[in-house]
Amino acid sequence: MRTRVAGYAIAVAAGTILLWSGPAAAGGAPIVHGRPDKIAWGAYGEIRIAEDRVRGVTDPEWFSFGRVGGFLTARASSRLDLAAEGAYDRSSEDFTLERLEAAYRLRPSLGFHAGIFLVPLGRSNLNHESPLYEFDERSLVATQLIGVPHAQLGAGAQGGLGTANEWPLTFEVDVVTGYGEGIVMDAAGGTRIASGRLNYGDDNGVPALAGRIAAHPSQNTEIGLAAETGRYNRTVIDGVEVDQARYAHVVVADLASRAAGFDVAAEAAVVMVDVPPGIGTLYAERQWGAAFEASRPLLNPLFRSWKGSSLTGAIRADAVDLDRAILGDSRMRVSASLNARPRAGTVARVGWYYELRRDRFNNETPAAGLTLSLSSYF
Amino acid sequence: MQSAISRRWGCWLDRAAVAFCAGALLAVGCGKLLTTEPELGERFDQPVAGLDNGELGDFQDGQVQFRRAFSIGDGLGPIFNNSSCASCHSGDGRGRPENVLVRFSRGVDLALSEGGPQIQTRAVPGAHSESLPVGVDVSHRLPPAVFGVGFIEAITESTILSHADPSDSDQDGVSGRPNWVTPAPYVPATEPGGGTAPRIGRFGRKAQVAALMQQVVEAYHQDMGVTSPQRPTENVNPLAPAVPGADDAEDPEVGDAQVHDVSQYLRMLAPPTPGEWTDARRRGETLFAGARCTACHLPTTRTGYHEIEAISGRDVAIYSDFLLHDMGDGLADNRPDGDADGREWRTAPLWGLRIAREFLNGELFLLHDGRAHTVDEAIRLHGGEGAAARDAFLALPPSDRAAVLDFVESR
Repeated sequence: MRTRVAGYAIAVAAGTILLWSGPAAAGGAPIVHGRPDKIAWGAYGEIRIAEDRVRGVTDPEWFSFGRVGGFLTARASSRLDLAAEGAYDRSSEDFTLERLEAAYRLRPSLGFHAGIFLVPLGRSNLNHESPLYEFDERSLVATQLIGVPHAQLGAGAQGGLGTANEWPLTFEVDVVTGYGEGIVMDAAGGTRIASGRLNYGDDNGVPALAGRIAAHPSQNTEIGLAAETGRYNRTVIDGVEVDQARYAHVVVADLASRAAGFDVAAEAAVVMVDVPPGIGTLYAERQWGAAFEASRPLLNPLFRSWKGSSLTGAIRADAVDLDRAILGDSRMRVSASLNARPRAGTVARVGWYYELRRDRFNNETPAAGLTLSLSSYF
Repeated sequence: MQSAISRRWGCWLDRAAVAFCAGALLAVGCGKLLTTEPELGERFDQPVAGLDNGELGDFQDGQVQFRRAFSIGDGLGPIFNNSSCASCHSGDGRGRPENVLVRFSRGVDLALSEGGPQIQTRAVPGAHSESLPVGVDVSHRLPPAVFGVGFIEAITESTILSHADPSDSDQDGVSGRPNWVTPAPYVPATEPGGGTAPRIGRFGRKAQVAALMQQVVEAYHQDMGVTSPQRPTENVNPLAPAVPGADDAEDPEVGDAQVHDVSQYLRMLAPPTPGEWTDARRRGETLFAGARCTACHLPTTRTGYHEIEAISGRDVAIYSDFLLHDMGDGLADNRPDGDADGREWRTAPLWGLRIAREFLNGELFLLHDGRAHTVDEAIRLHGGEGAAARDAFLALPPSDRAAVLDFVESR
């Protein structure tokens, strides 16, 4: 207990230093150093202290780094941008190279990029940096069905598509390495998409197709539809054919808007996996889930003399069914958080979640947590 | 003016919301919103009372291993039935019909060359699951509850033998004999139920296993396809071998420590607390004894010495004599297992029935293959040595039968 109290004290002290250090941000953008029109760089970090309990029993792991990483951008010419970004992320428990790409603008409404980049599989994968988010944990849809952060090697195009119903349309379409056989081979107890995310390798040599189309009915509203489809398994092991080609498809719909003073966002995903017949009844062929969140500035500024600061309250409900063929293997969660931002790009967050996890027998296990986290660009 | 009032009101509303949220979050820190521990005796996965700190640490370690789901990359397969211990034993209780294991043999021949003694219904890519050969003796086995096995292990052989009456010398129609089995060679004499000499089997539907450690090792090997130092060679389908790289996890896939942890965890799992006594239940208990159900379902058994003090020298209400009884044609699987013939079954313990439904989606699956969905149905399916007790139960007036059922389901 003393250790934990000491940990809280250290975290609060570190947070205090972090909150008041570094240059001020412009608007909601990350804090960067250098010149965005030439070479710019920056970093971010997130520390998390939590009292996580499963059925009343406290998880001894109370401290973790949520995410630590850095980025570098360079403008090689008026049309060519280079970018690199790498981060350790708690969800993957690994260091991931999220960007190492070259982007070429052919014209304002059309560009091409190649390298390693975030697959456009929903808003939460494209915008997952903690200082800009309102929750300590990503949604279950993001962590369980998409595998955020999901960055892959590939090439593609992005830009505008004109309008539909007077709504401007944007698109991105890429050929990427795709998910790997870890979807089932490294997944314990059932299909887990996140176990099959590959960063810069490809275990089957067959590219996948990913894309997203988004409509913008108003300045604050975006409706997106994204998908990734491709082969995920190896058919030959040690020169012997062991299976036929099998495919995984992930479809994500997302929405972000502003209504009645609330920023609202929703994301839903459907996963379809062609599972080898030998493990078919244990590994799911269909999964789905949805998340809805709403946030609202409560105090802006926090105090009259503290310009640029804010306090935001947010709630979220999310659920995933990890095997549609059975009653169990599902998770439901509600979360709430208060986000104090002394400046843009830095947030001290108090959060709470309550989750019901169901095993494959449909036995329910409640889990909950009270979290204190601090994340910032620096 | 109205706009100014509205803005001021909105500002106070926001502050009230902040205060409310902050208060709620503070309350969360001390309240039930962070979840609470279930009451003792209300689940199957709780430790027995009286464990010391070291034993509780072992219990936690074992629980992690028991619940660990193996991926194919971890060593699951090449052929297997399920991916973790916990995925067959729901909440550490009994399984469901979809988890039934299919054992087969040709008489006493375990049919190893045909994939015996158990069908593995799943296979990793590059391997082939097994199917049932024609003309074999088949037995369907519902995974049993695993709580309280430490107490079962701690019952001395002399205690079990004291209830045996293989030739029915008292002529009550109930014989009961032990299943003498030879422990697997890897079970050392220092392990309860181990050694080279025949021991009384007490685990499994036909009491075909004497040592808990053997049960754990075989579950890893047969049910999950996970190798251990005791069983270091993969279980394969002999009729359709897997390609060499299908399971490329290094053997053994679990070590001695994991086998020990799971064994210790099982030893320290407590049985749930029986329900409160009511007048009806006391009457049911008397009628249960009067119908001579207790000839096999012994109400209380005393454990002997055990290294774990908390399970040593205790009176426990298991409701079993751990002996084999002829249960008649209706329940016969006609497949011998050790000394047990095709009509014999070990007396099923009745403890834990009170909360069994909670872990089976409100359903109940009784008898060796889960065919009975109520205690009443299970009693009606008794035959052989259980026929007299069954008939005595059926002869009771409905209210008395209800009292018996209430008593049994409260254990």
